[in-house]
Amino acid sequence: MLPNRSRLSVLVFLVPPLLLYGVAVLLPIIQSLVLSFFSWDGISAMQFVGVQNYVHMLTGDSVFWHSFLNALGYLVICLVLQLGGALVVASLLTSFRRGREVVKTLYLLPAVISTVAIAFLFQRIYSIDPVGLINQILAWLGLGGLERPWLSDIHTVLAAVSIPEGWRFTGLYMLIIYAALLAVPQELEEAARLDGASRWRIFTQIRFPYIRPVWTTTTIVAATYSLRGFDIPYLLTNGGPGQSSELLTTYMYKTAFTSTDYGYASTISVFIVVECLVAVGLILLMLRRKADA
Amino acid sequence: MSSTGLAARYQSRTPASGRPRRRRRRPDLVQRLSSILVVAIVIVQVYPLVWLFLTSVRTEHDFTTGNAFALPSSITFGNYGRAFQVGNLGLNIVNSLIVTMGANILIVLLGMMAAYALQVLGFRLSRVVRGLFLIGIIVPVQIALVPLFIDYSSVNLLDTYPSMIIPLAGFALPMSVYLFSSFFEYIPRETYEAASLDGAGPYRIFGLITLPLSVNTVVTVVLVNSIFIWNDFIFANTFVLSDGLKTIPLGLQNYIGAMGKVDWTATFAAVCVTVTPLLLVFLVLNKAIIYGLESGATKG
Repeated sequence: MLPNRSRLSVLVFLVPPLLLYGVAVLLPIIQSLVLSFFSWDGISAMQFVGVQNYVHMLTGDSVFWHSFLNALGYLVICLVLQLGGALVVASLLTSFRRGREVVKTLYLLPAVISTVAIAFLFQRIYSIDPVGLINQILAWLGLGGLERPWLSDIHTVLAAVSIPEGWRFTGLYMLIIYAALLAVPQELEEAARLDGASRWRIFTQIRFPYIRPVWTTTTIVAATYSLRGFDIPYLLTNGGPGQSSELLTTYMYKTAFTSTDYGYASTISVFIVVECLVAVGLILLMLRRKADA
Repeated sequence: MSSTGLAARYQSRTPASGRPRRRRRRPDLVQRLSSILVVAIVIVQVYPLVWLFLTSVRTEHDFTTGNAFALPSSITFGNYGRAFQVGNLGLNIVNSLIVTMGANILIVLLGMMAAYALQVLGFRLSRVVRGLFLIGIIVPVQIALVPLFIDYSSVNLLDTYPSMIIPLAGFALPMSVYLFSSFFEYIPRETYEAASLDGAGPYRIFGLITLPLSVNTVVTVVLVNSIFIWNDFIFANTFVLSDGLKTIPLGLQNYIGAMGKVDWTATFAAVCVTVTPLLLVFLVLNKAIIYGLESGATKG
């Protein structure tokens, strides 16, 4: 603490940032909580309905549950691609002697591209008429029977909208894990290698335990980001066909700005927040417990 | 987790075995396989972007009739001309620049001020304030859409630059505060004490010591945030209605739908125009960006 500081000086530095943060983040959270107990279309008078929105959401709204399951599927696909892909590439990269920087940069490139551009790109990659990249590769491989319009087939659409999101940020998580792996002391690994430990064993018993704290943070970041995923499903399919790629976020958005049901939309967004908090809690619980075992 | 503990644990579990001979050759094979794998994954990461650029210089005829994924048979830049004619690309870029700059100024200045109050000045409730900032990292941005939409319409802020800048800066502020306060930790106490003894107050110390020392962190914060703000879709799509204020992501959307038949090659040319500035900045400054992303995520 500075010796010459005054209470006023603390306030001078603290109030402006808290003001912006309060208006943009904290106040809307409180407003959403309040709105979730009302029924309101934005024009007529607000009507207090108690927990009715929550009751309807949890017991009477099949679209909500469908979107919830879709969001979980979306989360799993994103996590596998982002964390799995990141861990594999980061581990392999540590044994490279040259080209590390190039790989890092190239791998991160998709994160720089806007989601609208990515949506255009994948719309073409998935399409069947004209033949898109995936269907073309399948044809070359002699798997023509698997060709399909990936975005309008209800069995593949969820995976099809999840993969671009996973693809986009793999490089980002790879960077973080790679930085953590570099910090693993070389002597430990060398000692293990001299003792004849296999690569797999070195990985599971030395490297991974060492990077576990970073892995935990990365998992939390990746999970909360996937749960708020919106742009790509909204742009690629807008939740369709039917509701087969509807996520909670897109459902919330439509409820708010297409059906102008602000109260119910707020209820859904409160649920999304709760869902994120639960996810963070579960991840901490799982990864901590393993660390203690 | 201490390294000695790990080593002890490792040694107690693994019986020493002496077979160094048989392992001589394996690492080479593994090494080669892993190189191939990494290269393959990198190709998957980069190919779509290469394709984007190739399509933007393809003739329309080549794109619709030929093999759209092979190398273009001839190169044309006519798509770029059409891209600028059809949309408002220039205007979109200006709007994106205004929003990105506005948000970045707020993020840097306010983030630095909050970090200064928390880390350097210090006060009793600083833990509570840190906790408040943590909320903004975990909570998804969608929660703010409906309330902000309502608030904006009651104070006539809908469809303005601030309607985008406020939430973009607000949700990026926590990470900026954390980055700055972890940097401020490294400024030695003695520097501040010496300045205080010389009679400098908190404002002068901020302006003459903290601010000039933080230039590197400022660059990092600006670069990392610019990527996300430049590409923001959700806030712009919710709060902006008039064509004159549309940022790049919204402008790009106009290429589809409005004309019925999609002019794909022109659309991809437009995509390339909008992606290129950020891509160049990224390629030139990727060291700083990579550093920022790494430290940002491990601190959060």
